[in-house]
Amino acid sequence: MSLSTSLNIAVEALNAATGALQITNNNIANANTTGYTREQVVLQESATTTTDGISLGNGVSLEGYQSVRDELLQTRIEQETQDQSGASASLSSLQAIEPTFTTSTTDIGTEMSALFSSISSLSTTPTSSTLQEAVLAAGQNLATAFNTASNTLTAQESGLNTQVTEDVSEINQLSSQIAALNPQIVSLKASGQKDGGTLQDQQDALVLKLSALTNVSVTQTDNGETLTTGNGTALVVGSQSYTLQTSTGTDGMQHVLDQSGNDITSSLTSGDLGGTIQTRDATIPGLLTQLDTLANQFATAINSAQASGYDQDGDKGGDFFTVSSTVVGSAASIKVAITDPAKIASSSDGTTGSNGNLTNLSAVQTTKLASGKTPGDAYASLVYQVGSLTSSANAESTAAAATLVQLNDQLKSVSGVSTDEEAANLIQYQQAYEAAARIVSTVQSLFSITMTMGTAAAE
Amino acid sequence: MRVTNMVSDVQYAMQQSQQNLATALQQVSTGLRVNQLSDDPGASANMVTSLASSANVDQYTKNVSSVLSQMQTADSSISSIVTSLNTAVTLGTEGATGTASTANRAAIATELEGLLTSIVGEANTSFQGAYLFGGTASSTAPFVAASTTYTSAQGSAASPLTAAIALTAGSVTTISDATTGETMTFTAAAGDTIATLQSAVASAVSAGTLSSGTTATIDSNGQLSIATNSTTDGVAVSSNDAALGSMTAVSGTEVANAYAYVGNNSVNKVQVGDSLSVATNLPGSNLLGSGTNVIGALNSLITALKSGTSTEIGTATTAITTALNAVNQERSPLDSTISQLDSQESYLSQETLTLSTAQTALVGANLADAATNLSAAETTNNAVLAAAAKVMPNTLFDYMK
Repeated sequence: MSLSTSLNIAVEALNAATGALQITNNNIANANTTGYTREQVVLQESATTTTDGISLGNGVSLEGYQSVRDELLQTRIEQETQDQSGASASLSSLQAIEPTFTTSTTDIGTEMSALFSSISSLSTTPTSSTLQEAVLAAGQNLATAFNTASNTLTAQESGLNTQVTEDVSEINQLSSQIAALNPQIVSLKASGQKDGGTLQDQQDALVLKLSALTNVSVTQTDNGETLTTGNGTALVVGSQSYTLQTSTGTDGMQHVLDQSGNDITSSLTSGDLGGTIQTRDATIPGLLTQLDTLANQFATAINSAQASGYDQDGDKGGDFFTVSSTVVGSAASIKVAITDPAKIASSSDGTTGSNGNLTNLSAVQTTKLASGKTPGDAYASLVYQVGSLTSSANAESTAAAATLVQLNDQLKSVSGVSTDEEAANLIQYQQAYEAAARIVSTVQSLFSITMTMGTAAAE
Repeated sequence: MRVTNMVSDVQYAMQQSQQNLATALQQVSTGLRVNQLSDDPGASANMVTSLASSANVDQYTKNVSSVLSQMQTADSSISSIVTSLNTAVTLGTEGATGTASTANRAAIATELEGLLTSIVGEANTSFQGAYLFGGTASSTAPFVAASTTYTSAQGSAASPLTAAIALTAGSVTTISDATTGETMTFTAAAGDTIATLQSAVASAVSAGTLSSGTTATIDSNGQLSIATNSTTDGVAVSSNDAALGSMTAVSGTEVANAYAYVGNNSVNKVQVGDSLSVATNLPGSNLLGSGTNVIGALNSLITALKSGTSTEIGTATTAITTALNAVNQERSPLDSTISQLDSQESYLSQETLTLSTAQTALVGANLADAATNLSAAETTNNAVLAAAAKVMPNTLFDYMK
């Protein structure tokens, strides 16, 4: 035991206190940095030395810094982010579609009622050209309403299609950034660091961004994190990242291919890309098919009612609506076929004053179409579906957002910086520093006593 | 649990309470609980059906008022006809008395001719361009002056029509007889010729549809001529057959006081309720020809007054009385339809109210609840903001001076 040993211990204590203050400082500085994980100083008791059978402590050693992480929570947040992004991608498309099917002055339901009202009105004075023109105009408005609804759906579909390409390029960028961090973290750990520290924070933040885009599963390996998407398609393995590609499929839509060119579109189920693909390939086509079916069957029913009567010229009624022979594209292409109001087949016996066939035209409103529903019911069921899809996407997105808030709270509870706590640490380490400094000055005065002791004896 | 930075929680809480506030405000300001489909998909779908019913009820109401004014016009015409017929009976009875002189009878006959003209005028009443008593053939006057002879436009002495000439399949030729009050309609089938038409006319004569002696022959000008064999029997003929051309009355063959009915006996029905349709017109053939040919009876009375005996005048007057009863009988369904429409009108206004109440219940906000929600949301929002303002600035550093 010597004074210099004590001095060494005091210096190490000063070193430890400085290190701890530095960590406190860094924590406070990053209190508001997204993705920052608070760090703790790792102090260790130095090995004791035994001299003459007496064991004495050898002070403290500053081992390094440790980030306070919870990998399980991090994984759950990534998972929940995937669900939330997927739901909110669907939600924003559906919310854009919703107003088209909401009751207004120009929605399909209102225009359909207006057409039947105009037909009923014509039945009171079948020869009135004003009332005949009103029927034509109402038919035109209904056709336009169908066209608009169909255009809204296809515009959303093509918007989502563009989104797929954008998402894929963003995924590729993130994958390469994540892959680049892997060897750095591995070598940092190899150098004895317990934790990737800031690099790990960066990588976690990137993985979280990637989770907002697609379904990602993370596996820890000796070479860093391995990331896969879909049914095990590799995105990142060690320092290597694998790019996804897009290509136009036979359906005219962008398909997502892995590095070897396999179509993995259908395996992408969550994240923005998953939600986008789901909405583009299932939700919207489903609605569009129903809309087309309604337009096609409605037009066919009106046309066949027309054909059973005679127009003002005494001729057999021709088609009222022009509609494609196949169901696909009917809502987009439906239009009024006749331009001459006198061509409305209101007569059942060929005389101009007869309104007998208007009864047949009116009856379309209450007669079941080939779909088994009346036109009004078929439209109401479409309205219900749009509403219910939107409302469930909304509920899903809201619930996932609430869960995310909770999970983030939990993560913050583990990894977040508490300024109060850091303030207390500040006091604690300041006092430790002051105490160690006091020891240095005590040892110094002991040294000087020792020095003067020799001088006094010489005198 | 370690509590760290509260900013994001406070932000989430503020967002939530502001969202609730916005929802409550929207409900109060629009008065609607369902503002977009996703607020209540089921109610939105029911609204579609309910609004369609409302649109129908609105239209039924418009139909009722439009049909009602048409039928009231028809009823007032019939009322005039009834008045004229009553006057005719009075005049006929007067003329039938033995003391009436020939001059008196002639004067009465002239007066009756005036009444006949006014009855035909009423029977040819139109409403908004459509003749009310022509059945569904409402674009032309239903009662036209009859002539003894009609000839076709086609055919000439140089190239006469022949019985073998084919008629266009589907073409329609009608012969309306003023005396019988009935109409023969001949629709040409494939392979029919003028000869087929001629034999159809012969059959109609034997069936009593046309007056006896009515014939269809090819005259010396090579045209098809449809003619009666009495100066008091008149017909009105029309055809759209290309082989015949249009049929026109030969000038000078017009029969005094004879009018043929060229309308049809079809009835238009207009829907004024989900399961209620009303007949909106009364064909002239029913009104003035049901059982008794009213115009024919008047014509007979005029003829009797001019040249007949007291007995003949009396018989003709009795026929008018019978005709009057028939007209009244035809009129009664019309009158009951009018009163049916009146009650349907008030039912529909009730129905409008019921539907709008149902719609309010479907998507409307209960204003008391909405107002309570709004003030609750406001209170919560204020509390969240106040709490945030109080809690957030405080850290241990504040106390370390």
